[in-house]
Amino acid sequence: MSIASFALRRLGRGVLTVWFAVTVTFLLLRLLPGDPALAVSSPTQTEATRALLLTQYGLDKPLAEQYLLYLGQLLRGNLGTSFTQSVPVLDVLAARIPWTILLTVGALVLTVVIGIPLGVLAASRRGGFLDKAVQVFGVTGQSLFVPSIGVLLLFVVGLKLRWAPIGGAYSDGTYGGQWYLSVLHHLVLPGLSLTLVQLGSYVLTLRATLVDALADDYVVLARANGLSERRILWKHALRNALLPATTLIGLQLGFLVGGAVLTETVFAYPGVGRGIYEAVTQLDFPVLQGAFLMLALTVVVANTLTDLVYGWLDPRVKAS
Amino acid sequence: MAGTPRPARRAVLVGGLGGFSAAAIAACAPSAPEEPAQQGGAAAAGTETLTIATTTDVVNFNPTVGNSRSDQWVTGLMYPRLLTIASDGSKEAELAAKWGYVDPTTGYYEIRDDFTWSDGKPLTAADVAWTLNAVKKDAPSGTFYGQLANFVQATAVSDTRVEFTMATPDSSLVDEIGFWGCVVPQHVFEPAGSIADFANDGSGGGWVSAGPYVLTKVQAGQSYTLDRVAKYPLVEGGVPVAAKVVYRVFPDVNTEILALRSGEADVIANALPPAQVQPLTATDGLAVEKATGLGYAHMVYNMDNADLAKAPVRQALAHAADYEAIRKVALSGQAVSTGSSPLMPVLAKYHDPSITEYPFDPGASRTLLQQAGYTADADGMFGLTFRLIYSLQDSVTSQWAQMVKDSSAKAGIAIQLQGSERNTYLAQTNDGDYDIYAGNFAIMDDPVLNFSLSYLPGGAINYTHVDDAALNDLIGQGAATTDLDEKVGIFREAAKMVHEQVYDNIMYTQDLFFAHSDEWSGFISRPSELLSIVNPVSVASATKSAG
Repeated sequence: MSIASFALRRLGRGVLTVWFAVTVTFLLLRLLPGDPALAVSSPTQTEATRALLLTQYGLDKPLAEQYLLYLGQLLRGNLGTSFTQSVPVLDVLAARIPWTILLTVGALVLTVVIGIPLGVLAASRRGGFLDKAVQVFGVTGQSLFVPSIGVLLLFVVGLKLRWAPIGGAYSDGTYGGQWYLSVLHHLVLPGLSLTLVQLGSYVLTLRATLVDALADDYVVLARANGLSERRILWKHALRNALLPATTLIGLQLGFLVGGAVLTETVFAYPGVGRGIYEAVTQLDFPVLQGAFLMLALTVVVANTLTDLVYGWLDPRVKAS
Repeated sequence: MAGTPRPARRAVLVGGLGGFSAAAIAACAPSAPEEPAQQGGAAAAGTETLTIATTTDVVNFNPTVGNSRSDQWVTGLMYPRLLTIASDGSKEAELAAKWGYVDPTTGYYEIRDDFTWSDGKPLTAADVAWTLNAVKKDAPSGTFYGQLANFVQATAVSDTRVEFTMATPDSSLVDEIGFWGCVVPQHVFEPAGSIADFANDGSGGGWVSAGPYVLTKVQAGQSYTLDRVAKYPLVEGGVPVAAKVVYRVFPDVNTEILALRSGEADVIANALPPAQVQPLTATDGLAVEKATGLGYAHMVYNMDNADLAKAPVRQALAHAADYEAIRKVALSGQAVSTGSSPLMPVLAKYHDPSITEYPFDPGASRTLLQQAGYTADADGMFGLTFRLIYSLQDSVTSQWAQMVKDSSAKAGIAIQLQGSERNTYLAQTNDGDYDIYAGNFAIMDDPVLNFSLSYLPGGAINYTHVDDAALNDLIGQGAATTDLDEKVGIFREAAKMVHEQVYDNIMYTQDLFFAHSDEWSGFISRPSELLSIVNPVSVASATKSAG
């Protein structure tokens, strides 16, 4: 199979997945208890006022009609207008998405950069002290919860040591290069928290697959051919061990965006995760639909990229 | 070699991700201001920035739509109220200098002549009349519209006088519109079309303010920056002291407190959780101020339930809660009894000290139930089981709901607790899907309005579903009279009826505490969380000590 048809098949599957996610989100939101008019209006509003609001929101129409209108709107590239903010959903999301991308991509890169050496270190010293230490670290990392580690980091690093700011994405009144430095400074604690909670599973997966790879025949042959341990480990065994770890990274991207809700809340980080939480409490359907569409697209793109990279790393996958 | 992950390819992948992030973030980078922000001219004006922490974002910058606290705090610095609330719950002048009734169905406001919009246009009675009429016509979702049920039309009879007509005589309407309403600039809002749909997000060239500050920058999810205006007549010296006010969002209250302690925030706008008051009072560098609560927490018994329709059963339930223990444990003692009356002590003119709290007495509950024909089983239970709903977002109520369940069991009444997330709770409340409702109201400042909404049939918050002809009659009389003494007498009588029949079980008014850095002083505290130390005059008066 050519790379083009491989990519085309993945793309077709991605479009179907996004349509399914859009439809399920649309229906699930309308199954939630309460209604948007009740969520946003004052308790002293009358039934007549609430009914008027539902009409304004277009929620008085039959469900099928609402769905068709929504799909038509989407096909024209229009995500609708926020019920509560009275501004286009695209504007609401555009103001927040960059921060979530920065946080999640930053955490992802940091996970890989820290995770690979740790996994290699543990696997190459199997059974030794360092291996055990990395395993303890990995298991502990898997059981960490963002709010707990977040508040702890804020208290120690932010309040006591004063090494990092308590919240936000940058300091007011900074411009140019100083602003970028401020952005990085504000990213340290939320990025570290998000990295810590996902690093454990990545390191343990990589270690386990690398230990298996090191016992394979081709490694024995490489040793017999006189290749250095360093070359065998980094050039041959690691390449095979990276396949499941790469899959895990693709899957974790979806988890990362979900984890960003908590991280952004604890660190007062202005990303889309927090926007979703706020939209849920206000039952702001258009914002939620737009945000979940964006999340579905992220996961589909990440998985497609993972598949493509997988094929790139292992030609057998492409061939099958 | 085909399929080999060469370092160059890897670099392209990582570089691509990094580049994507950098491009996305670069789009958020602010431009340096071309010139320094405009400062006020009075000698008292400072150069400092007052940073106020809040837990929620501003949802809508249109004050007639936005309902959240942050909406009200931020837009409150730009759009003046006609009236504010004094510490005894009575209304005080703000934009309006005088207010009252021309006749039983015509109210008026005389507004000050020294307010101007930040774009230089004067604020006149025409702005007031237009705001009232536009809200009535377009029905925006905010609290303001809810006050206008009996309002018909406003007219600016001069540059400083507005008169408005009512459908029926209503002695609370002038006060309630004066407090819950605000004034927006007609020349900005009218061209935008319906006031209910106008986002007022500054996209049309920024904001226009008649308050002490004007919004100049919004970083969604992070901060709202407001600059001082040149003139604000309600503050000493005519100019706000702090040059800037920045509202910063810390959704987690623990993070918010850490920000205050670290100096990243100067004030916390929301009331402190009861458990945090003592530790923060004892923290060096911080000051904690008290503001009187204007609302109450209560339990309401749904009279659509056949058992709860019987007064002795409601009275038995009222005697089955240990109110003193609830205030001590769930609120760390930071609450006062209202005497189980909707006329709280803070409403000094109306409060009736002869109405006293239902004593916690499970024995009395048992006697009442036996007299009503109920029989206890071998376990001492009367076979009465009630489902009590509350919001899981309300941590204090969640705590005392459990206490009510435990104490009611001593009286032989079983309570099933059903805590729900906010929207489910609102839906259950709206549908009357409960036996007992537990919740609270932040501001119950006007007896006419509160009794009408709470106890008249069809009232928006008549959660008891009570329809008592004698009570209805009293509320009608109270609403019609503008004679304060007569009104006080009528509502005391009505409160007595509510108390005796347990149409509502008012449990306490919470004392509110607000923390700020002790480097800042001059705050002017007003009742309720909505006003507290972040009301416009207080914020404009706050001063940072030298050094």
